[in-house]
Amino acid sequence: MSKPVVIVVGADKGGVGKTTVSRTLLDYFSANSVPTRAFDTESPRGTLKRFHPDITEIVDMTTTSDQMKIFDTLNAVSPSVTVIDVRAGLLSPALASLRDIGFLDAAKSGQITFAVFHILGPSIASLDEIAETANFMQGAKYFLVKNFINDTQFFQWDQATYNSYFHRIKDATDLVIPKLNEMAYEQVEVASVPFLKFVANKGTQDEAANYSFVLRGYVRHWLANVWSEFDRIKLTDLVGAGKAPTRGGER
Amino acid sequence: MSHTPVYIICSPRPLVGKTLTARLLSEFLLLKNGTVNSFDINLKEPSLLEYLPKITETADVDNTYGKMQLMDRLIIDDGVAKVIDLGFHVFDEFFRMCDEIGFLKEAARRRIAPVILFMADTDRVSARGHEVLREQIPPANLVTIDNEWVVRGELPVAMSHGRLLHMAALPSFLKVYIDRLTFSFTDYLRNEKDSSTELHQWVRKNYLSFRELELSLILQKS
Repeated sequence: MSKPVVIVVGADKGGVGKTTVSRTLLDYFSANSVPTRAFDTESPRGTLKRFHPDITEIVDMTTTSDQMKIFDTLNAVSPSVTVIDVRAGLLSPALASLRDIGFLDAAKSGQITFAVFHILGPSIASLDEIAETANFMQGAKYFLVKNFINDTQFFQWDQATYNSYFHRIKDATDLVIPKLNEMAYEQVEVASVPFLKFVANKGTQDEAANYSFVLRGYVRHWLANVWSEFDRIKLTDLVGAGKAPTRGGER
Repeated sequence: MSHTPVYIICSPRPLVGKTLTARLLSEFLLLKNGTVNSFDINLKEPSLLEYLPKITETADVDNTYGKMQLMDRLIIDDGVAKVIDLGFHVFDEFFRMCDEIGFLKEAARRRIAPVILFMADTDRVSARGHEVLREQIPPANLVTIDNEWVVRGELPVAMSHGRLLHMAALPSFLKVYIDRLTFSFTDYLRNEKDSSTELHQWVRKNYLSFRELELSLILQKS
């Protein structure tokens, strides 16, 4: 049986696109036939669950019972990849909890593959978040995600300052999520389906839908760009699924 | 069943004969098929809408909503030929969008046959525009219009390799005559008894070129 993989997507700031990145990850794993389960920590109502209801469970990560639900089942359940969409403000406390329960030590010793997708906002506060998160990153794969989907300009950043924070974490990798056409993004929101289903012109129950060809084209193009970033960081290798095959959604 | 053709008449330059070609082609298709849908995306130049208001709609590709309104219609295989008079100001944006949304691939999947009719000119902007299209459009779907009125027999070598459609120049007085908003090529063919006139032959020659283009399209898809 392959090693369990836990991917945490989070940021201490809200509205930076954590759930969007989680959704692209779930689509990516689905397209690459990697069985995945997801936890949405936006309790009691989760956005991620709205898009991926079949594989997502809403949890309250601050409670011990829900922590058990996630981490005590890592070796027991069949999907070996677990994606956790950590709600705003909870990334540092969540990592502290993982340290306290010995999860980070398990990752350090190689029993578990642990990756953090830290979604950055445009403010200097995001850089401080890097410094804070760095304390927990031994044994983890750390990805700093610059998310341009909501037209973030990263105007407050000075590259030298960013680099000084970035280099505090050994083997940190940065990722860029490009901007998606606003109307296309909005239509996927309204449709409440995964990006992949939107591209395939399918509704929530896999029924034929009637989305705009133009908007589907924009989403397909954008998703291919996001996935090429995931290919670049060899995400399928990281989760032990081998080489990324040719996917239907890509041009 | 044959594919639904979508003719896109374009150039990154103004005043090279796009609307004239769109008028000719629209009238030819209307005569031959009894129906055609024309789209005017050329509101900054002499407009197709003013010449053929009964069969022409306006469209806008400056915003996403406009793109949806246009492209979601173009991608429907309803058997009705479409003619797009694409303004020079949206040339780059239109083809960037086509590339991004995968228009050609989706068109092939849905039995739509896009034909890009590029109006040649001898300047650098046209050369760059043609190069962009050559990179993006398969040679069979790209036709260069050698409009003698514009090119004056000096078609750039780079544009002369692919499919070509020659359009002869008319004398100035006839050009003024056909530029009148009330002028119809088909009506002229029907009403002018003397088939030896220069204009009669010019219209017939162009209609014949369009027929040959259409035939080559059918052969190519069969």
